[in-house]
Amino acid sequence: MNHIQLAWKNVLRNRRRSFVTIFIAAVGCASILIAGGFALWTYDILIEGASREFGHITVADKSFFAKEEETPMQFGMQQDNRVAEYLEKNPEVATLLPRINYSGLISNGDKSLIFLGTGAELAREAAVRKYFLVVREGAIPRGEPSQLPQILLGVALARNLGAKVGSQLTLIGTTAATGGINAVDVEVAALVSTGWSEVDKRLVFSDIQTAQNLLMTDKISTLSVFMHHLDKVPAMLETLAAYDGEHAYMPWWEQAQYYHSVRALYNRIFGLLGMIIIALVLFSVINTLAMAVVERTREIGTLRALGAHPREIIAQFVREGGIIGLAGVMIGNLVAAAVIWTLPYLRLQMPPPPGRSEGYPLLVAGSPTLTLVTNALIVLLCMGAAWAVSRRAASKPIVDALGHV
Amino acid sequence: MEHPVIELNQVVKHYRIGDNQISALRGVDLQLQARDFAAIRGPSGSGKSTLLNICGLIDRIDGGSYRLAGEDISELDEAACTEIRRKRMGFIFQNYNLVPVMSVFDNVEYPLLLNNVPKAERRALVSDILDKVGLTGFAERKPDQLSGGQRQRVAIARALVKAPLLVIADEPTANLDTDTAEHIVELMKSLGHRLGTSFLIATHDDRMTRHCDKVFSMQDGVIA
Repeated sequence: MNHIQLAWKNVLRNRRRSFVTIFIAAVGCASILIAGGFALWTYDILIEGASREFGHITVADKSFFAKEEETPMQFGMQQDNRVAEYLEKNPEVATLLPRINYSGLISNGDKSLIFLGTGAELAREAAVRKYFLVVREGAIPRGEPSQLPQILLGVALARNLGAKVGSQLTLIGTTAATGGINAVDVEVAALVSTGWSEVDKRLVFSDIQTAQNLLMTDKISTLSVFMHHLDKVPAMLETLAAYDGEHAYMPWWEQAQYYHSVRALYNRIFGLLGMIIIALVLFSVINTLAMAVVERTREIGTLRALGAHPREIIAQFVREGGIIGLAGVMIGNLVAAAVIWTLPYLRLQMPPPPGRSEGYPLLVAGSPTLTLVTNALIVLLCMGAAWAVSRRAASKPIVDALGHV
Repeated sequence: MEHPVIELNQVVKHYRIGDNQISALRGVDLQLQARDFAAIRGPSGSGKSTLLNICGLIDRIDGGSYRLAGEDISELDEAACTEIRRKRMGFIFQNYNLVPVMSVFDNVEYPLLLNNVPKAERRALVSDILDKVGLTGFAERKPDQLSGGQRQRVAIARALVKAPLLVIADEPTANLDTDTAEHIVELMKSLGHRLGTSFLIATHDDRMTRHCDKVFSMQDGVIA
């Protein structure tokens, strides 16, 4: 026999009570892993959405992010520049997308509405945005010859204009050089959705040439840099700043306001949930171990008489708490793993969050760090509870402990 | 010259119950020599259990002195008393006080575990003492699978496995029938002699006192 074997035997002494405590520790552990994993999955989606929308790094004119443009393309930049050349040759970079941000009116002849446009290489833009730009009708133009420039139109804007795939519309905007009015006829190639209903009410994607023709400019607004690995972004920012000080470099996280808002909210919600779960586990373990300590007061007196120090009695209970915690986290990990692996097959959808028109898949991310921290927390919690409840009994006068009935 | 195992001089012990102070021991003098097999007897409330607890270092004296094997231990702190109990004393209780989740072997092994005796040596010592108390075939049984007499044999084995200087026994035969009690007393005495261990036994069982080398009679907190 050693101390661990003795602790195991003591855990099995009142099996039903120990199993209930292990079950509660397991439920607590699984709940934290699943809730935390869901939050992490949500963060991952938001990071991916933000980085696909803005690019991992946005390159622009120095004043682009600091000031408001008084005229279109006031802070635009040439598409072919030193930074672009450097990035095209850099093996860390997966894709470079030039973009033009512009706005104006879109008209079907009878009705004109405000639009917010993006001039881009449409096929590459759609590929990069992936499931954050869903084609509802039509197809993304891939350079096929057409009479009119082709655009992608937000589904809500199309509905308001009564436009369909193939409809001919007119984009009206202000020119960059003179501030005069210009118009370009376009044809709707596809109706698309970003999942944001407010965005879809104003959304227009055109090719770069069409946007430049409308604005009468040869500049672009930004150059979006998409990298192979997200964790290389900070290093790339430093490299770019050192390489070329003529431009501004904005990482995705400084533009992703929605991600930061959701993260702050979820951190509070899931943090509070985690604390409640921890408190429930703590009280349950304290309750169980306190009963065990009271029942074993006479035995504690005997062991003390035989020469066990109070710290050794406490250590015995702490080992028992540790075994309960370990058993709990092992079962909790298995339950959480089963949920993580099963959810993708169930294809469950979360309802659309406020402001969005699309839901998103209910999935849970498996995180080694979260698992390690949660496991350590639950085990330490059980050991701490055992320490707290056994301290008093272990220090009780031996005569009183032996006389305990 | 060999020191007495126990040497109490004018030992006093008070208890406070509410506002009242009760004197459980009122100046007890007692000497126990090596290998003595001694009993303390007296009516309930005479102070014999208190005296036993003091001798076993599970209670502290309020006055007088206590020397154990020549060393004054009257003022030792709790940790030092625990070390003495661990290394030099064994205990036998009226209700056996075996740990129910441990097997016979484990119960007897526990004091050796506390003393960090190596595993191989522990096994040898436990097997040897179980053989001496006649429980060789019972090593893997749990206490609830044993008779009262067998349980008390396990308690004796647990008390003697580390060959202590002194064994404190509180009414060890009170829950046993006459024949079993006789066997238990004889076993304790013979093992005590063989191992050089002194016994101090609280009892009011005449079957026990007949076998004792010394009998201390307690009355109203003093040895009569």
